[in-house]
Amino acid sequence: MTDERHKGGASLTDLRKLRNQMPGWVLIILALAVAAVIVSRVTQLIILLTAAAVIAYILNSVIASIERLGIKRSVAVILLFVFSAAFVVAADLIFIPNINLDVMNFYAKLPEFSHQIQDALLSIAQSNAEKYPIIESSIMKLVDIVFGPDGFLERSLNASEIIMQAPPLIMALILVPFFVFFLLKDWPGMMKRMMGWVPPSYVETIISVIEEINILVGKYLRGLAADCFAVGALASAGLWLIGINSPIALGILSGVANIIPYFGPVVGCTASSLVALMQYRSFDPLLNVVALYLVIKLMDDLVIQPLLIGKGVHLHPMILVITLIVGEKLFGIMGMILGVPVVTAAQKTVGILLEHHRDKLRRESTESFIRTRPVQTPARPI
Amino acid sequence: MFFIINIARSPSVAVEFYSMITQIVRRYFTWTLDTTRESHLQTLSKGPLFKGMGKKLLRKLLIDLVEKKYTAGDIIFHEGEIGKAVYVILEGSVKIVKESNPENKTLHVLGPGSQFGELALIGQTSRFATAVAEQDSLLLIMYKSYFDDLLRRNNAISTGILLNLAEILSDYIHRNQPE
Repeated sequence: MTDERHKGGASLTDLRKLRNQMPGWVLIILALAVAAVIVSRVTQLIILLTAAAVIAYILNSVIASIERLGIKRSVAVILLFVFSAAFVVAADLIFIPNINLDVMNFYAKLPEFSHQIQDALLSIAQSNAEKYPIIESSIMKLVDIVFGPDGFLERSLNASEIIMQAPPLIMALILVPFFVFFLLKDWPGMMKRMMGWVPPSYVETIISVIEEINILVGKYLRGLAADCFAVGALASAGLWLIGINSPIALGILSGVANIIPYFGPVVGCTASSLVALMQYRSFDPLLNVVALYLVIKLMDDLVIQPLLIGKGVHLHPMILVITLIVGEKLFGIMGMILGVPVVTAAQKTVGILLEHHRDKLRRESTESFIRTRPVQTPARPI
Repeated sequence: MFFIINIARSPSVAVEFYSMITQIVRRYFTWTLDTTRESHLQTLSKGPLFKGMGKKLLRKLLIDLVEKKYTAGDIIFHEGEIGKAVYVILEGSVKIVKESNPENKTLHVLGPGSQFGELALIGQTSRFATAVAEQDSLLLIMYKSYFDDLLRRNNAISTGILLNLAEILSDYIHRNQPE
């Protein structure tokens, strides 16, 4: 037996001894480290699952509305999928030819656009060459980096790379609806099974975690949708007022980009600035565009977000930036979008667990007092 | 749009459309109905906490709230714990026990439709007694933050629950007033 143990490494009793000697927090850190390694290995799958979970969460309110008619959940989910499929097919038949035409036009005009921007930048550089030689040299460098033979534009529009990225997109188009279907259909069953595993003394704490996260995520997603709509509308109106071309398209882009905190407004502002540059071939309208986006950002931070998202989803600015950077490193754009609600939910969960721990300690210290207290009160609401 | 931001729809149009769809489903598509949930809905409507509330509102509660099965003898909560949730019995029975008073140990045995731990909805007070599952039971659990959220968002349900809770408390005060 002893030989066997030496041959096969540590036995089960040795492992148990080691586990008993270890403090709880070491085990938690070890478990988190293992989870982090697994997550970093299957990043793409995690991104697909998270996207499916967000879509399922949004669609859950539609399913709940159908269920409120007294209809079974499985039937409600099938109904939703059948109607969605019909809608997608109809939209394909009506819109796809036009979208195809637009995309083809855009690709055909892309070299023309890049030449226009290049010309605008070069004419600005020439006009400022005498007064500000630094501006001229910086613009020349920028033109070389972006539009040069091995520049950013050439690399990002490489057709072979786009084709290389197609298989994951097709996989996502198949897998995400697949995950969404089963998440929607089986979620109550999964919850029941999970609740079955929870020991009775932890039920209220676990439910409080689920409820708080549910309220938080719901508030965040609803608030975010309304916030993006508000920012998009403001950007469209502002760009139209200062006379920039395609204000609606730029407004939609600004609204969608606004999902990403801090970086989103920069993306919107850059796109609008490029259009302004192409249109006027001068730096003056850029000041108007930057001022407009600064005003929108201030309004968003001071008025729109507190009204729509509220104080429930609040992260310290430093933690928010760290979350965005870590999210981007681990999961790209999706990590930046989903990092904030995930970290806020984790923060809330830790708070609830600590509160549960404090309650438990308080109860243990007062238990002896309660046991000896004389009680005459009859049955009453508890 | 209604699903994204919770704006109020015209009540008369929504109610009429809802009742029309419900009638069609009940008459022609009976196989699509969730019979278990409908029987739980009957149980819930009999209880004092949810009496007088419409079926649509009760179905919303049954969809939103968490259900948990307890086996006979399981302790649901202990006397002296801080209460954070109200429990409604959907199946089985629960015994309310006074641990600190050995002479009058069992205070109540509650059946389907009854609720216990309702004071948790008003504030975070200590549990007055211990709740033990007498038989294998299925309980519906409403956590305080869910109720607080309802107070902000759904007046019809939260007002109904608050009125019923006030009635339960006033009934208790009347019953226990000195002669």
